[in-house]
Amino acid sequence: MQTSRRLFLAGLGALALPKPSWADAGSPAWLAAAKEGEDYRLHGLSETGESLFALPLPTRGHAAAAHPTRPLAVAFARRPGTFALVIDCVTGAQTHRLTPPPGRQFNGHGAFSADGATLYTSEVVAEGSEGRVGLWETAGFARIGEWQTGGIGPHDMKLLPDGRLIVANGGIATDPKDRTKLNIATMRPNLSVLSQGKVVAQAELPDLPQASIRHLALVPEGVAFAMQWEGDPAEVVPLLGQWSLGAAPVLCPAPEGEAGRMKGYAGSIARAADGRLAISSPKGGAVQVFAADGGFVATYARADVCGLAPLGAGFVTSDGNGGLCTLDTELRPLAKLDAAWDNHMVAL
Amino acid sequence: MRALVLLIALSTPAAADIAEAVQGQILPGYAAFQAAADRLAATGKACDIKAVQADYQATYDAWMAVQHIHIGPTEEDGRALAVLYWPDPKALGAKAQRALMTGDPAKLAPDAFAQQSVAARGLLGLERLIYPAEPLPADPCPLIAATTADLSRVAGEIATLWGPQAQLLLTAGDPGNGAYLSRAEARQALFTQLATGLENLTDQRIGRPLGTFEAPHPDRAEARASGRSLRNVTLALQAMRAFTASLTPDAPQTLAAFDVAIAQAEALNDPVFAGVADPAARLKVEILQRSIAHIRELAISEVAPEMDVGIGFNAADGD
Repeated sequence: MQTSRRLFLAGLGALALPKPSWADAGSPAWLAAAKEGEDYRLHGLSETGESLFALPLPTRGHAAAAHPTRPLAVAFARRPGTFALVIDCVTGAQTHRLTPPPGRQFNGHGAFSADGATLYTSEVVAEGSEGRVGLWETAGFARIGEWQTGGIGPHDMKLLPDGRLIVANGGIATDPKDRTKLNIATMRPNLSVLSQGKVVAQAELPDLPQASIRHLALVPEGVAFAMQWEGDPAEVVPLLGQWSLGAAPVLCPAPEGEAGRMKGYAGSIARAADGRLAISSPKGGAVQVFAADGGFVATYARADVCGLAPLGAGFVTSDGNGGLCTLDTELRPLAKLDAAWDNHMVAL
Repeated sequence: MRALVLLIALSTPAAADIAEAVQGQILPGYAAFQAAADRLAATGKACDIKAVQADYQATYDAWMAVQHIHIGPTEEDGRALAVLYWPDPKALGAKAQRALMTGDPAKLAPDAFAQQSVAARGLLGLERLIYPAEPLPADPCPLIAATTADLSRVAGEIATLWGPQAQLLLTAGDPGNGAYLSRAEARQALFTQLATGLENLTDQRIGRPLGTFEAPHPDRAEARASGRSLRNVTLALQAMRAFTASLTPDAPQTLAAFDVAIAQAEALNDPVFAGVADPAARLKVEILQRSIAHIRELAISEVAPEMDVGIGFNAADGD
């Protein structure tokens, strides 16, 4: 009885005051940060590459997280980040500004819980770069706690379908002020699955400890991960791997003549609707596509390309020259804006 | 009238830079490399080692005139690596070549050889055969013939495929050009070759043998056996100076910095950077390295604004 009354009241409330949805923000397909002249903005982009809204950011952004239902985006500063902005994508208003607690720094990525009630932020303890997940409630965006990530220098994090959180602990300790890398000789990145603040599963790459695991894309059995190589640049190593939870991670090498085109660096990763995986390298001006089973498909050239997201059967890319391109079996220009697109496109 | 003058002023330099770099530098450079590689293949077939050495040196020289270009067909299908695979810290090339010399000769047929590891092919693959550091396990002549023929094939592919690639650069921004969406993108691509090429000299060609003061690595110098380590740096500097001059008529500081570094390289009597293990001789190599790093700084502060480009926004980020 009580339950149904509550439902009834909730239903009545919804009728009286419809909550804004992503449709009210123009139903953007992606969020992407950009530099325009000397200004930084967060754009909502349509599938045709049109900018539906552009909201100001105080400094350089990196990635963003989108609320699952409300038209709210959280834009994260480039690490070491001192802010994350909660933006109402309908009105363009900044509704909250998140500041990490003393001694903590944002690391550029974050994720909402499936019900949208909690925001998780990727953070480090400034001294030593030990990883933390910051927890924020999303009614007033107050800090409600933090978890250990089970590693050093976490970067990307994704919510698994079961609600657990998977974190890419990149393994790199950095100077709190200037991004200088401090532990390249001893770094040990890992992937950690967190459940209610406990590390319940972890994977390492024992043969490639200097491959920093930084960016993630969910796949049906677990996660695909993109790496940046911190070892000898003359050594050409795989930059893509897949981790089926419960098994050992599997690396996906590109053929000898192709592998070097990425210059030891993958800056973004995305999974297409058909299961193909793409990784991007702005340093190499290249995107590499792999089949769902990890087999290499092809390399596509595009200068300063980094942002990647799924589109149709394939992908969309964004680059520092302002280009947005579609990529299925070839790379084709979709739109060009007078903006330098930053590292990531976040699919909504 | 004023608007017209302004329009001309805005459009003229942009038209010159791409065409001059592509038609004045890159295309003739690849044509010369192809011609040298063809001669080398002819000599390689006859396997007169002295003659092969001479043509190897000439072909390597020709490659150094264009080795800073890493776009389009040069980079596709591993072609640049098939010409020059360096560094090879795990000596993959030497291992693969031993197997080829003592294995099935069918692998040396052109089509099969083209499928072999890039580490076993190219200029440095040939160097190991014609300037052997230790006795070879078998007669190298069949592998020399296969390697030089393959180099000539790759050089021909690069030169041929650069025809359409040049068109893409020259028609940047035109409707239907999906590779370069604006002229600025083409200029950006060319400038990036310069910035990356200079970085390669400081970090790799000089940086690898230099190592650290405590741990120098003269053994890691490029093309040591054929005595080309320093020569390659000098030739690369000369080529990139000409490339810079083609990109903009107005880069006096950068060109002057090139002249300083080229003079230092020419005065450096250390052909394979053996001196990096000796404190006094090492200093001269470090000074050259610093001079080249300085060219790059000037290119970014002087050439890039002249060309209205910058260092890639994301490429420079690293995250």
